[in-house]
Amino acid sequence: MLYLLLSVLLMAMDQSGKFIPRFRAMLEYAVEPVYLLAELPARALRGVSGYTRSYSRLQQENERFENQLLEQAGQVQQLAALAEENRRLRALLRATEGRRLEFRFAELVSVNLDPYAHQVVIDRGAADDVFVGQAVIDGQGVMGQVESVQWGQSHVRLISDPEHALPVQVLRTGQRTVAYGTGDSGRLSLPNLPTQSDIRPQDMLVTSGLGDRFPAGFPVAVITDIERDTGGAFAAINARPLAALDRGREVLLLLPEQEQPE
Amino acid sequence: MTQDRTGLLLAALAVAILLSLVPLTPVLAPLRPYWVALVLIYWSLEVPKPLSLGAVFLVGLVLDIVSASLMGMHAMSLVVIVYLVRHFRARMRFFPPWQQALAVLALLVNDRIILLWITALLGEPVPTWHYWLAPLVGMAIWPWLFLAMDLLRLRSRQSNRS
Repeated sequence: MLYLLLSVLLMAMDQSGKFIPRFRAMLEYAVEPVYLLAELPARALRGVSGYTRSYSRLQQENERFENQLLEQAGQVQQLAALAEENRRLRALLRATEGRRLEFRFAELVSVNLDPYAHQVVIDRGAADDVFVGQAVIDGQGVMGQVESVQWGQSHVRLISDPEHALPVQVLRTGQRTVAYGTGDSGRLSLPNLPTQSDIRPQDMLVTSGLGDRFPAGFPVAVITDIERDTGGAFAAINARPLAALDRGREVLLLLPEQEQPE
Repeated sequence: MTQDRTGLLLAALAVAILLSLVPLTPVLAPLRPYWVALVLIYWSLEVPKPLSLGAVFLVGLVLDIVSASLMGMHAMSLVVIVYLVRHFRARMRFFPPWQQALAVLALLVNDRIILLWITALLGEPVPTWHYWLAPLVGMAIWPWLFLAMDLLRLRSRQSNRS
């Protein structure tokens, strides 16, 4: 009975207090080797499948990647021209210089945490200057932010956590709002938009840069369905996150913004 | 002798915790049995001098930290399970294996209900029906785990004697 009360107390403190999360962050240093150990079988399996991949499949893959590279190189060329144009226009307007962002590559540590934790572990930590609150993205979109940092690993809280709120902007109209996690890794919810607001399915949501955690302009999610007939002042809007929250392997850490040299 | 036995228990728990972390594909992940609970059920059923609830609570906290779940969630669920096993120990020990497996199923389902209640308080969505498959897998694994643990205990006892 005593232990039941104690555990209820602990849960309440972990949910809303400050002390327990700090205490956990300390203990997580001890957990790091456990994760390395738990990851071993998966890593071995990957190694084996890497060796035994057939020649023809490799060739196919190579061809596909080459095509992709060519396509993206074309897009980048266009981007360079656009960036130059943007710089000139900004200079005309005497606006502040744009900022350039740097990324650092990180890999997920393959361990399955509690599904209700909405966290993943990445293989970069204090030794690589990761800091709490750092933004994490993958190839498609925003994934989450760093929750706690250990020596060589850190925990990342995903945007699907019901406690997580992300300031976003509708790309088409520029309307700003907040996207909340729902606990479901395939759905975000936007409860703060009025019923008559201009929003359609397939609209893209990008980070708005408010809140100073995430830089502006990163894709977050695509609107899937809009329920305007809620009987209240706000529409019930759902969106599908673009990042592979439950199956990605490689992620990018955004490094703190640096002023671009003049 | 008791030293040796706690060694075996610690080893079994360590393996159980590792097994609950080993990555599975998203399809298989909901099927993962509650390894730590299975080991603790066995231990409190079969070993003459079982664990104190305090120790069970600590094991739960370790599992909470390792799996990054809410602090105290697994501690609570394990304490409830072990408490129930102790309460019905005299009866459960003499059940035939299939009946014992059913009792384990009941324990695990009860545990899922408690966890569901906690996560609902946290504002999580109601899980899909896959959520209820893990206790069934736990039940299917139970007889094998029982035999394996019996064998390990016997062997450690024999090696102690010789």
